[in-house]
Amino acid sequence: MFPRLIRTAAVAACLTLAGVATAQDRATVVAVNYPLQSFASHLLGPEAEVVYPVPDGVDPSFWRPAIADISLVQSADLILLSGAGFAGWVERVTLPRARVADTSRAYQDRFITTQTITHSHGAGGAHSHEGLASYTWLDPSLAIAQAEAVAAAITARDLAPAEDVAARLDTLRADLQALDAEARAALTAAQGVPLIATHPRYQYLARAYGLQIGALEWDAGAMPTGAELDALWKLAGETGAKVLLWEAEPPAEAIEAVTALGLHSVTFPPLAVPPGEAGFAGSFRQSVAALAAAVEKATAD
Amino acid sequence: MDRPVIGPVNRPVIGPALRAAGLVALLSAVPLGAAAHQLVVFASVDCEVVLVEARFSSGAVARLGEVRVLDGSNTLLTTLQLNSDGTLRIPLDSVDHSTGLVIEVDTGSHDNYWIVTPDDIVRNCGS
Repeated sequence: MFPRLIRTAAVAACLTLAGVATAQDRATVVAVNYPLQSFASHLLGPEAEVVYPVPDGVDPSFWRPAIADISLVQSADLILLSGAGFAGWVERVTLPRARVADTSRAYQDRFITTQTITHSHGAGGAHSHEGLASYTWLDPSLAIAQAEAVAAAITARDLAPAEDVAARLDTLRADLQALDAEARAALTAAQGVPLIATHPRYQYLARAYGLQIGALEWDAGAMPTGAELDALWKLAGETGAKVLLWEAEPPAEAIEAVTALGLHSVTFPPLAVPPGEAGFAGSFRQSVAALAAAVEKATAD
Repeated sequence: MDRPVIGPVNRPVIGPALRAAGLVALLSAVPLGAAAHQLVVFASVDCEVVLVEARFSSGAVARLGEVRVLDGSNTLLTTLQLNSDGTLRIPLDSVDHSTGLVIEVDTGSHDNYWIVTPDDIVRNCGS
């Protein structure tokens, strides 16, 4: 749906630095994550180029851009932020306020607050910081609100004909509503079933569908260490969980190790990065189906 | 009951602290991006200086800290120390800022950065 060509173009644009957007026929829109890139590309059609500037293999939550990357972002016609603390780099640069859209502003009251690490520094003594769960789009109802915010930002800046954007938004909203209904039906049996995730990415998914998902802090797609497997073993014993959600496909050896602990593995990409050909809805649909199947197996064990 | 072991046998021995860390991870479900905001670094620029300000998210200023200045190629240009009020003024003519500047502040326990692009410098110089 969103070819790598776009990112290749972004890299090329980086090299030519400032003034790129205005020098092109089409407007340039920068999106800080894949859902926003996906929604903006759908809503804009051929009217603009949508750039996801984060290199392959880099988690956009923790991306540290180079100066040239920021020059590209600053020159864009529209910069789509995800809010809820996603992509910390946006708070470490100067962005042109008039061209920035915070796409989650309308649902800030639905953000999920997380507890954080308690530590100390200086003379201030021990203290902790609150954080926000950032992957809001895993609740399709919030993804719809985000798509609506993207559409409004595009229209406000006259980047595409308003009637075209409205028609495309109707289609996108209908797709996401269908996705939500499918997920709700598929995950009914998973409600109340304890699950574990290799990383805390699924808070909004859990809230949307009544899931109980505990979380570890494993590296995406990596072989867990012995310590991590021990923590999983302990957590599974405490919660009774028999399903483990991986945010990226792990090595076969990792699956084997987890299976030996009595857990079924499900790869559920949280979609901050492009999922390949499946696209946003396709990947989400596949993940939900895999999760539902794993829960069915686990409850039959 | 001990965990069944599959795969490499030379994994680290698991201590109580690590087990506790796993539980903390479960209970806190912290996105690391949130934890990265503990030191706030800001740099503003005019025609003469880059003014660096560093404070903790509690509002307290960072009284001690190393400031590293890098260029657009990520080459270290200079290393300086924060003043006791959590600020530092870096004369623009003391560094090659033609490719922009990355300002890194490291207090020892926390670190963060701010990016100044060539456009930022031009724009704030009123050119």
